[in-house]
Amino acid sequence: MAQAIPAGQKWWSGGKSPYNVEYGKLMMWFFLMSDAFTFGAFLISYGTIRFSSNSWPDPNAVFRSFPGVRGEMPVPLAFVSLMTFILIMSSVTMVLAVANGHANNKYGVAKWMGWTIVGGLAFLSCQAWEWTHLYHEGAWWGRNPFLNIDGTQSSTNFSNFFFTITGFHGFHVFSGVVINIIMLIMTLKGTFEQRGHYLMIEKAGLYWHFVDLVWVFVFTCFYLF
Amino acid sequence: MEHIQANPAVAHGQGQNFDTKAIWRTFRILLIITVVELILAIGYYEIDFSNKHFVKHVLNGIFVILTLTKAFYIIAEFMHLGHEIKNLILTLAMPSLLFIWFIIAFLWDGNSYKNLRNNYDPYQKEQSLKKVEAKKPGAAE
Amino acid sequence: MSNELTVHGHPGVAAPDIHYEDHEVHHHKETFITKYVFSQDHKMISKQFIITGMVWAILGGLMSVLFRLQLGYPDTAFPFLEDLLGKWAKGGKIQPEFYYALVTMHGTVLVFFVLTGGLSGTFANFLIPLQIGARDMASPFLNMLSYWFFWLASVVMVSSLFVETGPASGGWTSYPPLSALGDASQGSKAGMDLWIISMALFVVSSLLGGLNYISTILNMRTKGMSMTRMPLTIWAILFTAILGVLSFPVLLSGFILLLFDRHAGTSFYLSDIFIASTQKALPNEGGSAILFQHLFWFLGHPEVYIIILPAMGLVSEVMAVNTRKPIFGYMAMVGSLFAITILAFLVWAHHMFVTGLNPFLGSVFVLLTLLIAIPSAIKVFNWITTLWKGNIRFTPAMLFAIGFVSLFISGGLTGIFLGNSTLDIHLHDTYFVIAHFHIVMGVSAFFGMFCGVYHWFPKMYGRYMNNTMAYIHFWVTLVGAYLIFWPMHYEGLAGMPRRYLDYSGWASFNQFGELNRFISTVAMVVFAVQLMFVFNFFYSIFKGRRVTSQNPWGSTTLEWTAPIRPGHGNWPGEIPEVHRWAYDYGKDGRDFIMQTEPIGDHESKH
Repeated sequence: MAQAIPAGQKWWSGGKSPYNVEYGKLMMWFFLMSDAFTFGAFLISYGTIRFSSNSWPDPNAVFRSFPGVRGEMPVPLAFVSLMTFILIMSSVTMVLAVANGHANNKYGVAKWMGWTIVGGLAFLSCQAWEWTHLYHEGAWWGRNPFLNIDGTQSSTNFSNFFFTITGFHGFHVFSGVVINIIMLIMTLKGTFEQRGHYLMIEKAGLYWHFVDLVWVFVFTCFYLF
Repeated sequence: MEHIQANPAVAHGQGQNFDTKAIWRTFRILLIITVVELILAIGYYEIDFSNKHFVKHVLNGIFVILTLTKAFYIIAEFMHLGHEIKNLILTLAMPSLLFIWFIIAFLWDGNSYKNLRNNYDPYQKEQSLKKVEAKKPGAAE
Repeated sequence: MSNELTVHGHPGVAAPDIHYEDHEVHHHKETFITKYVFSQDHKMISKQFIITGMVWAILGGLMSVLFRLQLGYPDTAFPFLEDLLGKWAKGGKIQPEFYYALVTMHGTVLVFFVLTGGLSGTFANFLIPLQIGARDMASPFLNMLSYWFFWLASVVMVSSLFVETGPASGGWTSYPPLSALGDASQGSKAGMDLWIISMALFVVSSLLGGLNYISTILNMRTKGMSMTRMPLTIWAILFTAILGVLSFPVLLSGFILLLFDRHAGTSFYLSDIFIASTQKALPNEGGSAILFQHLFWFLGHPEVYIIILPAMGLVSEVMAVNTRKPIFGYMAMVGSLFAITILAFLVWAHHMFVTGLNPFLGSVFVLLTLLIAIPSAIKVFNWITTLWKGNIRFTPAMLFAIGFVSLFISGGLTGIFLGNSTLDIHLHDTYFVIAHFHIVMGVSAFFGMFCGVYHWFPKMYGRYMNNTMAYIHFWVTLVGAYLIFWPMHYEGLAGMPRRYLDYSGWASFNQFGELNRFISTVAMVVFAVQLMFVFNFFYSIFKGRRVTSQNPWGSTTLEWTAPIRPGHGNWPGEIPEVHRWAYDYGKDGRDFIMQTEPIGDHESKH
């Protein structure tokens, strides 16, 4: 409660958290900070290789397919838009779960956690479809069928980075889903209700939003640039 | 985690309660930005500009700004950092600044590597400028 | 009260699972397994770290003895080597592949497993809760995992010594293409894979540890222990942990890409390659080997500060205690630690001046690199000023602290040479570099570690180490270190390159034959003395003189208010409250004032 914090509070004097959070949440934040550097390093490596290449494939030409649609879509990037929408949506349901946790509403938490898990699984399925599709087009680690935007032969690094980075992101989504499932089970068992707080949901939420955050950057780097 | 004992103060102690309206507002902002990004990306693809490279650079700049805006909203609202106390915000914001030099130096050197190769390895440059026929999808298998 | 969330002594929310308010210290039954093996007590974990670190140090040191033997006596055959190493020393002479494996493993082991795991792992674990007044780490469980990941990494690394094609041999930096292509060399095969796996496990361990250290220091300080009342050890460990948490992930990313290059046919780091051994040109195109170097050194440079900062912290504390004076310029010390931490992230490419790095970008890195001289000099001057007119007690710990400063100056000055890209063109990859980093981060970090061990051994085991052996250890190591590394500067200035196992074919370096023999001899003597230290350590655990008073060094910090052999939870009763900074020595006519003593009415300000 913000009102409970007295003005002029001496945060750093010891005996209390200078951040007004318990250590688990703090640790999660610092972990996410370090994970940001893992992803940052991947994306920056991708940028470096792209900057050191004379040309690069055009995402608008590569990402043109949609499940159920034969051939190419009239507009590119339709499928990835759907994936982005799903992930942002699941972020929203996660916040709603956290909000319900604050209100100590067990069924609210369980409901929204459930939707978040569904969102995560939907995203993973989309990714699986996209990977399969690209694989059948001939793209994989070490193989790249797409030409550069100027019609020259491209190196394999377009697909190398694409599969590595989206794969690493997908791995994070997957672990997020697993964490969320565990949280859902614990919620339903009433573990948090007994504890009197839903801080674990908040920590899982932080991780989940981080996955969304990373996707925002992956989206920009691979599909827009 | 298990160590924290049941303490009613804890559950309500973490900052403020969530405002459901604000959550949906953030969602709308994120959605709109994403749609704008897509329109720009597809628009660039559909329209034939005379100075393509310049337009692409401007667009990329816009994408960076929009992406950072989205990141800001996710962190501030969804991750609730905007509602934490200033100490935490600053502690997390400061290390992120390291990315600036991280990015500049890496990309700068990547670009320089390209120029060096083009200057000192003419064969490589010639190869990289040769147009080739597109393979049929699935041909690589 | 929301902000009382993690307060100790606040009923009900006391941290980790220990309730001292109404129980005795050993209220739960401990078995051998929970007490000595899967212990969650930070003190036991710290002991596990230091003993594992020692085993590694002996192994790593032994490797250096082996290759010094080769360098000192390139023409002589040592049949016992063949008995010991088999095909790696055919005819009693170390084979080139094995020589490279030795230097690679020596570097990896000493840099990561001893001076990172062994040093931060030991002292961060031991000192953080005791000096800030906490029962244990924020998460004792993750802390335990941190050790066991370290142990697992160690097992994998040791196992790589026994694979048929030998351990990794591409240098501790493992640059591609040598590290990326199995066909490139013997050591690029299975040994390299094990090396990468082991390092990945090590990153996980250091991450778990680092997150714990940071959250504990920030969140769990006892009442009154504001940040500016913390001993400098804790500040140094805090910055070390921040460095590790932010830079190790980048290395991990680099390794993941490297693994793909090795096994998935990608070309992140590969382009235009022809392998001599198989006479094949590789199809890989478009990658950049320099990219790996960037990623590696983005960790690699902070890594040297991860090694040296804890040593600096330990030295500062020991020096204040043993000069009976407050540390000079406490805030300047903290500020320079902070400045070093920031700069550590900005200067990585000064390791890459001659790799084809853009020269103009290089000049920016020169500027940033030379800036490090400022905080480093501030620290050195503060240490010297702390010594000035001090009432110095030359305990072994103090000697090592002073030795640290001496070595840090000697090694740091040559850093200014190497930080200039123009000079580096000449000096790069010569013995000058070896001399520089061995003095400034190798030996001096070891001195910081020894200083810490001698000083806190009584707290760790309730006994003292043997002083006679300690003095011999100090003098031989100090003189030996200078005798080994000082001459290498001259060899390097003369242009003698690193990474060769035999210089006798080089007419211009024949003049150094005698010198190399001398260096090798001294290296073996110094190694033997380290074994004596290890003996002293283990002997003293069981037979050392017992500590009889709670505060044997007359120190102000909190760990000396705990019982002589503290149990799990550190303080039997309430955690003491802190009323002053950690350096009230020689104040108002008193020798020292503990941090727990409230400020008196007529006390002077510091």
